[in-house]
Amino acid sequence: MVREDVATGGAFLVLGAGLLASGTLLPAGVGGLPGAGFFPQAIGVLMAALAASLAIRGIRHSPTAGTNSGDLRSVAVIAALLFAYLALWGTGFFLVRTAVFVLLALRFLGQRWLPSLAFSAALVAFVHIAFDVGLNVSLQ
Amino acid sequence: MTAELLAGLAAVLDWQVLAFLAAGVSLGAVFGALPGLTATMGVAVLTPLTFWVSPEQGLAMLLGIYCGAIPAGGIPAILINVPGTPASIATSWDGYALTRKGKAGLALGINALASAAGQLTSIAFLAFLAFPIASFALRFGPAEYFGLALLGISLMAGVSGDRVLQGMLAGSLGLALALVGLDPMTAYPRYTFGLSEFLDGISFVPVMIGLFGLGEVLSQVSDRRARARATKIEIGRVVPKARDARSLVGSALSGAGVGTMVGAIPAAGGDIGSVIAWEQARRTAKDKGQFGKGSLRGLAASCSACNAAIGGAMTTMLTLGIPGDAVSAILIGALLIHGIQPGPLLFANNQAFVFSIVFLLVFACLMIMVVGLLGARPLAKVLSVPPPLLWAGIIVFGTVGSYALNNAVADVWAMYAAGLLGFVFRRARIPLGPLVLGLILGPMMESNLRRALILSGGDWLALVARPIVAVFLAAAVLSIAWPWIRSRRSASRSNLGPPSSA
Repeated sequence: MVREDVATGGAFLVLGAGLLASGTLLPAGVGGLPGAGFFPQAIGVLMAALAASLAIRGIRHSPTAGTNSGDLRSVAVIAALLFAYLALWGTGFFLVRTAVFVLLALRFLGQRWLPSLAFSAALVAFVHIAFDVGLNVSLQ
Repeated sequence: MTAELLAGLAAVLDWQVLAFLAAGVSLGAVFGALPGLTATMGVAVLTPLTFWVSPEQGLAMLLGIYCGAIPAGGIPAILINVPGTPASIATSWDGYALTRKGKAGLALGINALASAAGQLTSIAFLAFLAFPIASFALRFGPAEYFGLALLGISLMAGVSGDRVLQGMLAGSLGLALALVGLDPMTAYPRYTFGLSEFLDGISFVPVMIGLFGLGEVLSQVSDRRARARATKIEIGRVVPKARDARSLVGSALSGAGVGTMVGAIPAAGGDIGSVIAWEQARRTAKDKGQFGKGSLRGLAASCSACNAAIGGAMTTMLTLGIPGDAVSAILIGALLIHGIQPGPLLFANNQAFVFSIVFLLVFACLMIMVVGLLGARPLAKVLSVPPPLLWAGIIVFGTVGSYALNNAVADVWAMYAAGLLGFVFRRARIPLGPLVLGLILGPMMESNLRRALILSGGDWLALVARPIVAVFLAAAVLSIAWPWIRSRRSASRSNLGPPSSA
């Protein structure tokens, strides 16, 4: 069994079934013309059929060489930093928040203090000049 | 005719016009090279600046941005796997693979040369075949657009490499994501979950930045070896060897042909054209297995096609007054402000101005080619930056670029969600290209199919009876079926092979 294919197929099968079911709740159309629910149902059927094929193929075939799981902890930390950075959007001090985010991310990824500080300051200055001043984007 | 041609050339050879053109090309290169900033955004933002100058000067700047941004969009696609503009998605498929092989310089050189080839070919089309192309595009109704979109979506099987089922699942997910927002025909809200931010649908550019930019960053963060990677990167030669260059001419020219035709069709731009051209080049190539893994032909075809769409779009815009893409829609507005009405009468009444546009495009193309070739080596130095600094830069530019599109934080959330999805897809080895195809072409396919059915009174067979639609549908069926036919043929061939080969 190829677990990767079975898991992918299973996840898409659930998604396709959900799309199909939710499509039936949308207007079906009148006079032989498709309504808002036609495409969701069609895509749901397509997705479920493809997913089932992949899952069945995954069950039948023998597994290939496993992939390296990688450093998921680091990804989780960066994702958490991103979430915190975005959750604070609109609270003001955009440039300071961005500089702190970059600094923390670089430190976590093993960069030394001084290059991290210099890079975050330069990056924030460039963003300010290009977007705030140049394009008049309201960054808060 | 000769007098108008010379008058057009004289208007362009004015030093002020050339200075505006050079400024436009430089700004366009910046807009194209920074992920999140697009040619459309650059032209839109800088159009007001051109109101105070002559039409030639204003148009020189705007065309410079347009012609500069599209090739420059290939630079981040090649160097860091983040397409600078939507048109350079297919460029990243082979361009980034070449960078990973230590051939970043060559990839950038081919990007510059093939982009110039694509632009010059499409400008020649504009100069000599404007009316026939525009007349062909004018025959496109909703049924033909549906056929074109279906053909584009069917390419997802081809761009999935040896992961056809996974690729088609990713494509169906793209189609599903494209459903979010108001129903294109009845304005009935679908999958908006009561949030007004979703009424306009999911913005394409932030999703693209997330999938290809943030997703790649997270993927590299998870790879401990990438973090500790030595920062000395092999750039290699920039200008291809004469033998390589000769072998790429066919791919570049066929890409230019596809890009020009697709660009001429209203609302279909370089993003679709480059994918179709890449797949066409792959299908006709002997080394199909190299496509997506660093094929020079694949890179040349996609770069040429996305740039050739410029000439195609300009052809439709100037001859019919119909925008071929978003940039030409803004250009029409800019021309109208200067008192110039694009359309057939422009060719009858103001031929010199049309020729000056043709010359402006030629000069812009040559300028960006020189910039691309001379700048390839310094640009590739970006790879010498320690990976964490590069990742931080991509995240910040991606974030701010996504927000700057509509000043909407929802776009940044979409970018981050797409980034996580891109990371998961990479780990599960699910191709990302088909997802993007589904997202771009889904709305076009749905709205045009339903419009066509309204026009035919609900008769599905009437759609197939139209010759152009029939050709598109046949090509779509072949495109989906071909990978299976090929695998069956190779399987049966291996079964028939000599025992020693087993």
